[in-house]
Amino acid sequence: MAKLLFEWDYSSYPGAKKYPHLFKPIQIGNLIIPNRIKYAATEENLNSHDGFITDAGVAYLRERAKGVVGGICTMQGVYMDKNRQGQGYVGQAAAWDDKFIPGLKRLADAIHAERALAGCQLMHCGRVGAVDVQYCQGPSAVPQRLRIFRPVQEMTKEDIKQCIREHAEATRRALEAGFDIIEISGIVGYLLSNFISPYTNRRTDEYGGDIRGRMRFGVELIQEVKKLCGKDVPLGIRLCAEELLEDVRGSKPEESMITYQIAEEAGIDFISVTAGWQESIVPVISRDVPMGSWLHLAKRAKEHVKVPTSMAYRLFKPDLPNKAIGEGHLDIWEMCRPMIADPQMPKKVLEGREEDIRHCVACNLCLARLFRDAPMTCYINPICAHESDPKYASPPPAEEKKNIMIVGAGPAGLECAYMAARRGHEVHVYEKRKEIGGTIIEASKAPYGDEELFNCINYQKAQCEKVGVTFHLGKEATEELIKNEMPDSVVLATGPVYSKIRGKGFDRENVVNTLDVLSDKAKVGERVVVWGNRKPGIGVALYLAKQKKKVTIVGKDKSAGFDINPSFKWRYMIYLAQNGVTVYNDCDIEEVGDGEVMIKTYDGYRFPVKCDNVIVTEREANDTLKNAIQKEGIELFIIGDALVPRNLSSAVHDGYRIGIRI
Amino acid sequence: MAFDAEKEISKLWRNLHIAQGEIGRTWFRWREAALDIAGPDANPLEISLKAAEVTGREIGKALLPRLNWLKGEEAWLMNLANNLANQWINHGAIVKVEKMGNPFEVFIKWERCPWPTFAKEYGVKMQEDLLGCDRILQSILSDVNIFFNVNYKIETLKAIPRGEGMCLRRLYKV
Repeated sequence: MAKLLFEWDYSSYPGAKKYPHLFKPIQIGNLIIPNRIKYAATEENLNSHDGFITDAGVAYLRERAKGVVGGICTMQGVYMDKNRQGQGYVGQAAAWDDKFIPGLKRLADAIHAERALAGCQLMHCGRVGAVDVQYCQGPSAVPQRLRIFRPVQEMTKEDIKQCIREHAEATRRALEAGFDIIEISGIVGYLLSNFISPYTNRRTDEYGGDIRGRMRFGVELIQEVKKLCGKDVPLGIRLCAEELLEDVRGSKPEESMITYQIAEEAGIDFISVTAGWQESIVPVISRDVPMGSWLHLAKRAKEHVKVPTSMAYRLFKPDLPNKAIGEGHLDIWEMCRPMIADPQMPKKVLEGREEDIRHCVACNLCLARLFRDAPMTCYINPICAHESDPKYASPPPAEEKKNIMIVGAGPAGLECAYMAARRGHEVHVYEKRKEIGGTIIEASKAPYGDEELFNCINYQKAQCEKVGVTFHLGKEATEELIKNEMPDSVVLATGPVYSKIRGKGFDRENVVNTLDVLSDKAKVGERVVVWGNRKPGIGVALYLAKQKKKVTIVGKDKSAGFDINPSFKWRYMIYLAQNGVTVYNDCDIEEVGDGEVMIKTYDGYRFPVKCDNVIVTEREANDTLKNAIQKEGIELFIIGDALVPRNLSSAVHDGYRIGIRI
Repeated sequence: MAFDAEKEISKLWRNLHIAQGEIGRTWFRWREAALDIAGPDANPLEISLKAAEVTGREIGKALLPRLNWLKGEEAWLMNLANNLANQWINHGAIVKVEKMGNPFEVFIKWERCPWPTFAKEYGVKMQEDLLGCDRILQSILSDVNIFFNVNYKIETLKAIPRGEGMCLRRLYKV
């Protein structure tokens, strides 16, 4: 008899009518899930370094549990070995002893308090593990391709048996803690995936060889864990539908589908379909991969197995999974990063409040932080990982209502305006342009998915309108205006000023600003030099290279893309090469001439580069109105690029921080 | 816009040669330091070969992300051989990679190499210089072989330190 733990009735919600396939129940094993939504297990490095659950971790997960509106909320994968070889992240939760059960119970209770189903993931990190010890474990001692990871020790048969016992013990603890669903992680380079791939499994015993041999560890694992789960607790598994490791002779796609069938035969109740490894050279989840790109893998999986399937991987908007479920290609919409950016995302979809969704921009900053032993941060969501701090996450109303003037309607100004107005202030935003968005208007013109950056502005605009922010578009804030208005506080969010080349010819007509180029106000010739090798320079360079122009980047940083997080930067380096963009790092422009510029290296070499136009992307802080405001004795804040030119994330975080304290 | 290409290139060229010289001398300065600390009973050859092994392993690790199997084994092998040659070219050697009939065999030819000269400058025996290069190359192959699940070896057929005018090595599939 199938069991329903929490009753949910979605019939009166607009989202259930618009996306009917997302909000209908499904049975997994003997458990009925009220909807098709699952928060995917996600490391956040918020737990103590010895694996105990913290208040921050509980608060983080509870917000996501609220968001799934009755669906599945999976806690991060736990490591299960006392010697910590399976631990892949410094703040990863542990389950190798009964002493961890109370912490796990806190998580299960927090999920249940939101009437959602609690999933616990078992995750031995294999060749990407051993974050705090010298050697990680794997089926074979294949050297690491990425130096960030530890050397691999080949597991003995006794190690394998011990590892399976540890999975079983951790399952018992998760069940005692009250979890409703257990999931085994076998993806992206973690232990089970290491056994499955011929790239990392060179064993000649029964755990190696053909795909059935390589899956033997998985089968024994599933059978042992399933014994404890019994009929009432569904057991899921995350498996690669494609490893994307052809360059190092990984599994073939057809072999991956055999692993799905073997897992089903072994007793798995649902499969989460995934793609790629951390070592893959193919982009999988970054912004340059269009949304829905991996749905063909979900379709393929459905053709091979009967158990329900779920999928995350660039399904950032509800129409994609709704359609896929309707067409029978998928059963459950799984989310990780969209719910890091907005924990309430599916709830807002259900309530018909899609304009209130803070969309993930697929920058992978969250992942980059984890690999550098830092707590999770979201590029676009300042509250992420601060859920346990009510003063920060839900700031109280202002004690004294102020009249606030915000200069600039870019991401920093908008975020600040929204938060300040939400706290009860009267907020006026002055923007010299006739539209809002600041430099994101131009930045979102760059190729490889940058149009998604503008989703941030759409969200902020909607929020500002809801809390009564007054916009004065097409009106430049001047000293005179400030004197006339005499606000209580001024927030300068004007964006940066563009630097002047400190050499001869900087004022020539062929020197143009990147904003004018990206908005097509300035026409440029066939050969251009972009001055500045950070993201704004890379963005405009790729924009022009896509128009078949010969582009050269000249920048002072030692390597291009210094301001792009490492989990995304490598993609840009490949795109620059693929589009024929020449990059001179550690260089500056000494002189702009007619039809060429003189480049000077950091150590004094000079060489000419032919070009029709120079595009300026180097930026500086903008303190144009600072002195005038201070002279009037008005409280002043400077945020975003006006303070220090950085990126969209810094603008949003600056705006939020000032918005909650002003 | 005044620009004297010859002046800029000659300056760059001169500094490249100075940098190459420093690379060579740094190796032998470290060798002297290691021998001093190891004491009079230490075997210089043993220490030198250990350093060569560490160096080779490091170079091998750095090669792993650069080698790619997608274009097939022959292309992969040429890529590997060129990467090996480039290590020495960067130090000032003239190295060429040549294929003969066997698709899984290449010959790497050092027509000129600065390392025996450095060795002489520091009073190091030619045998140590030769065995050091051999050890570096073998150590590079060690991780590369495991990672790509192949078995390639390299053997020295001729050697400048032996007075044979060139170093000729055969990189082949076992």
